[in-house]
Amino acid sequence: MSVVTVCPYCGTGCQIVIEGSRGQRVSGYSLSPVNHGKLCVKGYSGLTYNFSDDRLRYPLIRSNGEFRRVSWEEALDYASKRLLEIIRKYGADAVAFQSSAKCTNEENYLMQKMARLVGTNNIDHCARSCHSPTVAGLVSTLGAGAATGSIESLGDSKTFFIIGSNTTEQHPIIGAKIIEERDRGKNLIVADPRRTKLADIASIYIQFRPGTDVALLNSMMFVIVNEGLQDSKFIEERTKGFPALSREVEKYDPVLMEAVTGAPSDLVIKAARIIAEERPAAILYAMGITQHIHGTENVQSISNLALLTGNIGKRGSGIFPLRGQNNVQGSSDMGALSEWYPGYVRVEENDVERIEKLWGRKLPRKRGLALSEMFEAAADGKLKAIYLMGENPLVTEASVADVERGLDNLELFIVQDIFMTLTAGKAHVVFPASTSLEKEGTFTNTERRIQKVNKVFDPPGEAKPDWWILKEMGMRICGMRNYSSPEEIFNEIRTVVKNYSGATYQNIYPIGKQWPINENAPEGTEILHATAFPIGRAEFKVIQYRSPAESVDEYFDLIMTTGRNYYHWHSGTMSRRTDILERESPEPYIEINIKDAQRLGIRNGQRVTVKSRHGSMSIKASLTDSIPEGVVFAPFHFEEARVNELVGNELDPVAKIPEFKVVPVRLIP
Amino acid sequence: MNYILSKDEMQHLFSRISRRYEVYGAVERDGEVVFERVNDFGIVSQKKSRYAPKEFLIERGENVLATVPQERKAVFGIKSCDLKGFYIMDKQILGKDPFYTARRENTLFVNYVCNEPCNGGFCTTFGGPVLSDFQIQVLKDQEGYHVMVSKEFDHYFRDFRRDESRAFEEITEKFMREMKPLPVEGIESRMKWDSKLWKEFSSKCISCGACNYSCPTCYCFDIYDEGEERKREWDSCILSGFTRTSAGNVRPDLSDRLRQRFYHKFSYYKKAKGEYLCTGCNRCVDDCPVSIDIKEVITHDYLNE
Amino acid sequence: MTTSMNEYIPRFLDVKRKVQETGDTYTIVLDETSKAEPGQFFMLSVPGAGEAPISVASGTGRELEFTIRSVGKVTSAIRERDRIGVRGPYGNAWPYDKYENILAIAGGIGIPPVRSLIERMIDKGRGEQLEVLYGARTPEDIVYYSLIDSWSSNMRMRLTVDRGNTTWKGNVGFVTSLIGKSESPRNSAVFIIGPPLMMKNAVAEALKSGFREDRIFLSLERRMECGIGVCGHCNIGHYYVCESGPIFPYSSVKQEPELFL
Repeated sequence: MSVVTVCPYCGTGCQIVIEGSRGQRVSGYSLSPVNHGKLCVKGYSGLTYNFSDDRLRYPLIRSNGEFRRVSWEEALDYASKRLLEIIRKYGADAVAFQSSAKCTNEENYLMQKMARLVGTNNIDHCARSCHSPTVAGLVSTLGAGAATGSIESLGDSKTFFIIGSNTTEQHPIIGAKIIEERDRGKNLIVADPRRTKLADIASIYIQFRPGTDVALLNSMMFVIVNEGLQDSKFIEERTKGFPALSREVEKYDPVLMEAVTGAPSDLVIKAARIIAEERPAAILYAMGITQHIHGTENVQSISNLALLTGNIGKRGSGIFPLRGQNNVQGSSDMGALSEWYPGYVRVEENDVERIEKLWGRKLPRKRGLALSEMFEAAADGKLKAIYLMGENPLVTEASVADVERGLDNLELFIVQDIFMTLTAGKAHVVFPASTSLEKEGTFTNTERRIQKVNKVFDPPGEAKPDWWILKEMGMRICGMRNYSSPEEIFNEIRTVVKNYSGATYQNIYPIGKQWPINENAPEGTEILHATAFPIGRAEFKVIQYRSPAESVDEYFDLIMTTGRNYYHWHSGTMSRRTDILERESPEPYIEINIKDAQRLGIRNGQRVTVKSRHGSMSIKASLTDSIPEGVVFAPFHFEEARVNELVGNELDPVAKIPEFKVVPVRLIP
Repeated sequence: MNYILSKDEMQHLFSRISRRYEVYGAVERDGEVVFERVNDFGIVSQKKSRYAPKEFLIERGENVLATVPQERKAVFGIKSCDLKGFYIMDKQILGKDPFYTARRENTLFVNYVCNEPCNGGFCTTFGGPVLSDFQIQVLKDQEGYHVMVSKEFDHYFRDFRRDESRAFEEITEKFMREMKPLPVEGIESRMKWDSKLWKEFSSKCISCGACNYSCPTCYCFDIYDEGEERKREWDSCILSGFTRTSAGNVRPDLSDRLRQRFYHKFSYYKKAKGEYLCTGCNRCVDDCPVSIDIKEVITHDYLNE
Repeated sequence: MTTSMNEYIPRFLDVKRKVQETGDTYTIVLDETSKAEPGQFFMLSVPGAGEAPISVASGTGRELEFTIRSVGKVTSAIRERDRIGVRGPYGNAWPYDKYENILAIAGGIGIPPVRSLIERMIDKGRGEQLEVLYGARTPEDIVYYSLIDSWSSNMRMRLTVDRGNTTWKGNVGFVTSLIGKSESPRNSAVFIIGPPLMMKNAVAEALKSGFREDRIFLSLERRMECGIGVCGHCNIGHYYVCESGPIFPYSSVKQEPELFL
């Protein structure tokens, strides 16, 4: 039987068709407006991890340092009993819940509901480390923190400005669309420290220094204002704060900024003119913009640029934060974040009352701990218990040594996952969960499209869908309702999250619909902000360039920027258990410019020690000329060389995201 | 032998075949045409299926240490371009791979000849749409179902009417008019190792492997151990690990690997087995996210680059 | 073949002896009499680790022996086992029967299939018709050092290293530099095996020294997974190395751009 469902890897959310018996053939769903039947290598060859012998099959409890197999009843009763004890003894804020951007909307909704019914806002997840600045930044400037258009609408763009995104590797099907559009003669401007595949075919490629994004963006806006290329009508009718912005950007002459950003001024000037004049222009960005200590400000600068040039609200224009995980948009929409209730209601706002009525309880109003803060709190003894689902912070979070200290100090650590990850190895209780191919639910992709996830296979052993496990825990610790199906949960979500109210399991199948979907927009909404912004007038923000948290010095003389590669996915728990993907990228590596390598006496493939102010690792060098001198790059997929050990714990003050993209290091052959 | 059958007679034929074979057919599901178990001739679609059903011969993933399956399967509604691929693959792997061989011997393919050229297809370049090698070949028109039957399966047709019409010739003529064959003759000598074409393709290719997975003539696979099983999975020669050994990689650049794919299809296989490893189905183009078009390899002017 | 036979299923053989050759190279002696001709290969496997194509190192009719370098998961796992999965022999052999005199040139880890040739020809009483040139990277990398004396009394053998050490008193220099000084008749068949660059240079030297192009044979190495001509990985030009090779007449592959890569 063929089943239409959604790929579990990236935020593009390609729809896939899996033939469940004859060797599990996978093809792209040809009618999907997301991928039109195309897939990347992870979709075609990356799903066999489902059948790995490593799958967790039975609940486990750790006693005397060893995991022993127990029944579901024993595991759930024990975990819930211990959690309640800790809450009684230390208060609700002594426990924290970590949700998963890989799990469904229904599951994320239950996890955050559980936290709030227990009485705490200590609910967060990996969105914190990726697009939390997008949510914070765009909600403050536009009133909504999500992509403003659809992937299809990019077909109407005249110009693409891609900054801080290696699109053909991280969102390959979106990258492919850009390649096709470029083939049709559209303008492609790429700004990235690394010369990516899109940079190679760009009309203009701006190579600039990591961490100088605001200077670059402000210098582009200098050109636009200086030459009177801004969209004055749009600015007057739909925005506020322009005069202050124009005064600020006056200080950012690209000729002067070249010393800061390393970006050739003539290219910056050309690029700025094209974005302003060859419209509609779409701006696509990802971690290169967000994973900085000024991530929120970087996002606000992008918003400034789009508003300045009137590139919002028209089909083909807009801001496209490329969300990483398959459901990180959804998990954020569901409020699995410490400062947001479902539907982006801030925890301190009066709107929470509406949710209190729906859930029948008074709810906590104080902002909780962000993911990045939880481990420190655990190390300090303020946090006693964590219930974590589908995440691997020992590999993916910054300042890994702190994460480890924190986890080791917990009285209770419950992990719900599909594999015994490095993180799960530290748990006291392990719940075996289903993969995305073994359960029903919904994912929301990077273009706000709510799509139906359908079950293809049965989970192995006694593994259960996450929603069932959460519901069972919820019933035990906070009187949660005994939901009988994911659809029941989704129907509740529709009452809480206004943007989802018009969606049903029936009308989002076989192809999904973009939120807001409600009575005014029964088919969903392709283009946001077409006539009005949720906050009335969009706001320009005055952003000053400030340097990254850490700078190079005589000893730490190279900047390491971390990221992903095409074949693997995040901590590699799925992709490294897949034959073809593991064969393509079997070991950790650090990319270094050929000249830098020569200077340091490093040969291709040679093992080197990489040291930062926070940690060190041993890793093989890979020489390339696609990375500029002074910069090195290492992907974070490999447990055996955890690059995040080297990343510091300074956070963006608003979004609380660490600076994964600027880490001064020293390479020692 | 040629026969002409009514719809009811086709249903009878279907029932006869069902007694001996597990029958699958191309059916519409959620807007796509996919292959499923069927028990009614009437639901089998005339449309081109979403994918070439090569997993009836080489499963996408399977354990090569398992017992070689002997089930008899029949597949209704496979397109000529997809079936032709199997005959071409036979030349390399039939008799060598036990699973392919067993399934090939035990599967009855009933191919449905298209009534119209499909968008982008170029099967006439390779002798389509009517195959000269087939088991049971069907062409539907207003008169009914024209069926060309090979000797091996003639016994299923003992009480059906002979077909004296020129239906198959006419459809061939129509296709030759509407889908001019590409000048593939001699491509193996015309292709150039240093052509700019390979670099052009590699500047766009995102290494997804769709071309290999969708192709009815691509048979390469990767073998690896997982626990007690020795699994094999469809592989893609576009991927760098395809030729990597501890000594290095003979095709380090993506352009080398793209060139290999096309050389294998239009030069090497022709030289080794006398036939091009392509049937003109266009599936690789349909599934390519950046629309790299294999037809360009045939029509490119290598001489005057 | 009958369809009930599954060529992928290996037979399992006991490892009778293991010999450490050099740092990362070892030899295993299996409990079977070799029916393979020199130059052919087998697929050796360890369940759970995988399979690897390894050339036979012993002569036909002798105990089945393989010399393996630990470079990956499978080749490291084989060393730890007392029972190995075996499929084969596959491929073709050195055509030593077709020519009166043979000059074999082996570079580095290419020596095992030449050892197989040496043993076979000695067993057939044709040792005098064989000359072997063997080049290792350093003295520590020389394999079968203890056998070389006994071989040298039955056939002509010359040994060299790319780089010597303080105690090495033998030849220093690439093995290709020995070709010109070979006393083998110039109508000898020339069998060449080793890293691609070494093979390329050896062919050039052989031709320069007057050997016949139509009597040069190469043993090619490519990634192999099935060994039976279906998985596609060992494709070069219109050949599959596992089927049409690994031994190829130089003249039939010399036009292949991928030959010496």
